[in-house]
Amino acid sequence: MTQNIINNLITQLTRLPGVGRKSAQRLAFFILNLPKDDAQALAEAIVDLKEKARFCSICSNIADADPCDICRDEARDRSRICVVEEPSNILAVERTRCFRGVYHVLLGALSPIDGITPDRLKIKELVGRVQNGGVEEVILATNPNTKGEMTARHITELLKPLGVRVSRIAYGLPIGSDIEFADEVTLSKSLEGRREL
Amino acid sequence: MLTRTEGIVLRTAVFGEADLIVTYLTRDHGILKAFAKSPRKIRSRFGSSLEPLTHSRIAVMGREDAQLPRLTQSDILRPFQTLRDDYTTFVRASRLIEMNLRFLPEREPNHDAFRLMMQALAKLESGRKNLYFLYYKMRFLQICGYLPGLEICGRCGRSSSERSPQYFYLAHGSILCEHCSAVRDEARELSAGALRVFCGMLNWRFATIDRFRVGDHLIAELDSLLEAHIAYVLARPLQSTVFTA
Repeated sequence: MTQNIINNLITQLTRLPGVGRKSAQRLAFFILNLPKDDAQALAEAIVDLKEKARFCSICSNIADADPCDICRDEARDRSRICVVEEPSNILAVERTRCFRGVYHVLLGALSPIDGITPDRLKIKELVGRVQNGGVEEVILATNPNTKGEMTARHITELLKPLGVRVSRIAYGLPIGSDIEFADEVTLSKSLEGRREL
Repeated sequence: MLTRTEGIVLRTAVFGEADLIVTYLTRDHGILKAFAKSPRKIRSRFGSSLEPLTHSRIAVMGREDAQLPRLTQSDILRPFQTLRDDYTTFVRASRLIEMNLRFLPEREPNHDAFRLMMQALAKLESGRKNLYFLYYKMRFLQICGYLPGLEICGRCGRSSSERSPQYFYLAHGSILCEHCSAVRDEARELSAGALRVFCGMLNWRFATIDRFRVGDHLIAELDSLLEAHIAYVLARPLQSTVFTA
């Protein structure tokens, strides 16, 4: 009977990305040894996430309330919108503590091969936010890959006529790396984007 | 077993947290999928070598019959970055990528398809892109055995007259002469000029293509015909055609 319970948990854990059978086994035994309160809190957090998570009607971020905490925060600079592909990207930008504006999540990136067209992303909503006024700058923080670049270019074409400043996050070498190991495209982009000191 | 070859990245699909499944058109193995460990991480050794259309020297590790060998090396030979930098060109190049993905079987060497793709990408970096795209589509269909028949009637084999418009029947994949075609409303009219260009193109090569002068309206007419033919053969249009380029 105990084996069945453990096996069931292991099977469920292997459904998580990057978790194989052995890792799932390790996690299952870790949970087994947790105090009951901690295990309960973990289970409740998962259930809460599924029951309460929703998309913010303003920025499409995932939150437990609509509008989300960031959109509700009066201290945020609403004249600057940072555009990202996925809600998880917001966490990465927030970790920098450099940006005090608001966000807009596209929920994906353009991809001709996969048939992901502009109407399947939250681009229309972004244009609407800019048209409503009060926005001075839109910072495009889509991924620096082909899909992200295409998306950024498409949005730029839509926003430029609206008279808003559109900027793109910089390209370059990661801090702590060595030029010797950089590939030619990254290095040429970082040379193009050099700045005077 | 370690396998080394050259490949052009056709597409990548996210797998797990930071991994990718990369689909290549390779010189020696045709379409080849490989598992790349952590290329989405900032300090990945793969760098930008897994971006679509990049021509790289690659090495994959795995049994010969492995469904998904592991990508162990990817050195850029030619990045074709200019094609990705231009929105319109990349949207149109996506159609070439999709044709390769949809027509070619996995792990079947096709040197002609690889060579054609390399020639097309090199040409597309500058020059008359409309004509290059059209020529690529025509040659690719020829390599795959799906070239529409515009030289002779698809039923009786009679030569077409190059002076009058002809009618192309999607269901036959060819033109039909007046005697063989009963109902014309199911057919697409093809102008005599487009027909002449098409027949002439069969003797062209990418190396000498710039010598020929073709009107944009004829290129558009033939391109539209090939798109319809491809959609008929594949039973649905290419996904990338929903993008307007």
